[in-house]
Amino acid sequence: MSNTKDFIIEQIKSRISEYKADTAVKNTGKVISISDGIVKISGLSAVAMSEMVEFKNKVKTVYGVILNLEEDNVGAIVLGDYIDIKEGDEVTASGKILAVPVGDSMIGRVINPIGEEIDGKGKIETDKYYPIEKIAPGVIKRQSVNEPVQTGIKAIDAMIPIGRGQRELIIGDRQIGKTAIAIDAIINQKGQNMKCIYVAIGQKKSKVASIVSKLEKYGAMDYTTIILASASDPASLLYIAPYSGTALAEYFLDKGEDVLIVYDDLSKHAVAYREISLLLRRPPGREAYPGDVFYLHSRLLERACRLNKDCGGGSITALPIIETQSGDVSAYIPTNVISITDGQIYLEPDMFYKGNRPAVNAGLSVSRVGSSAQIKAMKKVAGKMRLEAAQYRELAAFAQFGSDLDQETKVKLERGKRLNEILKQDQYSPISVAGQVLVFYALINGFIDDVAVENVVMFEKGLLKYAEMAGKKVLEEIVESEFNEDLENKMKALISDYKTTL
Amino acid sequence: MPNNFMKVLPKEYAIGLIESIKGKNDNEIKKITDNFVDLLIKNNDLSKSENISRIFSSLWNKENKIVESEIITAKKIDGDSLASLKNFLTNKTGAKKITINERIDKNIIGGTIIKYNDKVLDKSLKTKIKKLSDSIKS
Repeated sequence: MSNTKDFIIEQIKSRISEYKADTAVKNTGKVISISDGIVKISGLSAVAMSEMVEFKNKVKTVYGVILNLEEDNVGAIVLGDYIDIKEGDEVTASGKILAVPVGDSMIGRVINPIGEEIDGKGKIETDKYYPIEKIAPGVIKRQSVNEPVQTGIKAIDAMIPIGRGQRELIIGDRQIGKTAIAIDAIINQKGQNMKCIYVAIGQKKSKVASIVSKLEKYGAMDYTTIILASASDPASLLYIAPYSGTALAEYFLDKGEDVLIVYDDLSKHAVAYREISLLLRRPPGREAYPGDVFYLHSRLLERACRLNKDCGGGSITALPIIETQSGDVSAYIPTNVISITDGQIYLEPDMFYKGNRPAVNAGLSVSRVGSSAQIKAMKKVAGKMRLEAAQYRELAAFAQFGSDLDQETKVKLERGKRLNEILKQDQYSPISVAGQVLVFYALINGFIDDVAVENVVMFEKGLLKYAEMAGKKVLEEIVESEFNEDLENKMKALISDYKTTL
Repeated sequence: MPNNFMKVLPKEYAIGLIESIKGKNDNEIKKITDNFVDLLIKNNDLSKSENISRIFSSLWNKENKIVESEIITAKKIDGDSLASLKNFLTNKTGAKKITINERIDKNIIGGTIIKYNDKVLDKSLKTKIKKLSDSIKS
């Protein structure tokens, strides 16, 4: 007993001796006015742009960020609750640029944009802070994309491949599976040496709760962090959320790791920034967005990168999501983000309601850099498949009018129908690359032509299961070795063997 | 000259007043201030007078390098300490003249809090104890 008492006293003594009173001169100011989370402050003559300021009152300390520097006052946004701040309150400059805590202990947690836990699992211990705004890595540090991100979604991995370090936009109307694609991609990163960050901007808390439980169910929370700025949070938190997520991503990047970050969604982010800008009385432009709304997203997405070996070799892959209003991709924010990113996955309502899920429109979706990151076998089969898909689209539109078709066209149409079936995929059921290659190979070589269209899904499932049991070697070879005749023969044999079991 | 369709801001009034009384003697200044009040009445801007005088005094202080400061202590401060504090502030700000408002606040227990311009130097015992207790808690 005395032991522990002494220990405690010793601890306190050492703490006291460690303690150094720092009494530097502090820059202070007074709140002139506060409204809608925007504070005007007088004084603070030596404050810097995007510096943190403290609002002191009896209840607790609230932080703010300087966004406007004017001749005789400064404008700031309040990060958090601004109800307790009153006119005349004292404001002190902290001398620090806005930074968030980062660390490995954030993995598997749900946090808010300023790094505080909100999942009730206890305080997060971190000792590092990263600035929220950082200039993106320069040309010297970068390298072109050469490793794939396997999303586990057939339509994407084959036709719109994504590489590590790429920025691929997911765009479409509400409720047609944009988030589902991102979540599936996160789930499929298990064992792929990838950290994932899901930034929810202006989402419903109920939706995020269901996402968390789904990720937990599939064991994806072991490598995923969720940053939540919900619909009920003030616009200031929504505004900093993606930057704070990227700060965490950069922490992993600096350790040489690969990171996948999803911003869900950037249209709500732009709306939050519009709100702040208008309240700060910045002049509105098109659709009432401020003039620097392009820079808002370009500086964020530019931080996605693939670093070369000398700089650690890590990568940040960004999957921003944009919600369109009734398919209007030519609105201000969608066109901006389309032009910033390295390609887009366009989801189409018509396809979704016809039952083609994921509703990826292969014609309008592109990936500008990802194809160089595909594995060799996938590159071979996907090229042919893309051709088949394009021919089918053309013929299908044409064949609607006439019934008299020549044999060749009929074959193409039948093949196309089966291709459509193959591209259908349930949510939360990612498929490995090797499996995907096998299925596509079966399709383009006519192995599925004699299967009825309704049975294609069943056939595919059976084939994958059979390959898992009898063809493990072949699957491994697809990923690892060259795509040559030998391998092709093995794949053919495997598929024929499976067909004999039907 | 103020025009008819733009309102004159309190700051503009204060700057105008400062500029016009520069290098004038007492009699002239009296005349200028009378004219100034007339102008305010004519422009229907008397309600701004409080704001104008506040800005005017801060401009005046800046112009003549006067620094206003506030010193908060727990007990009444003696002459020597006051003089050395004045010296300290003069060195720190480079001002020609320092005005000191003393205030006694028992709550800070000991030490001083010095406020000048928009800076605060908090050397009070209360803050130190609070910081120490925070550092032990964490």
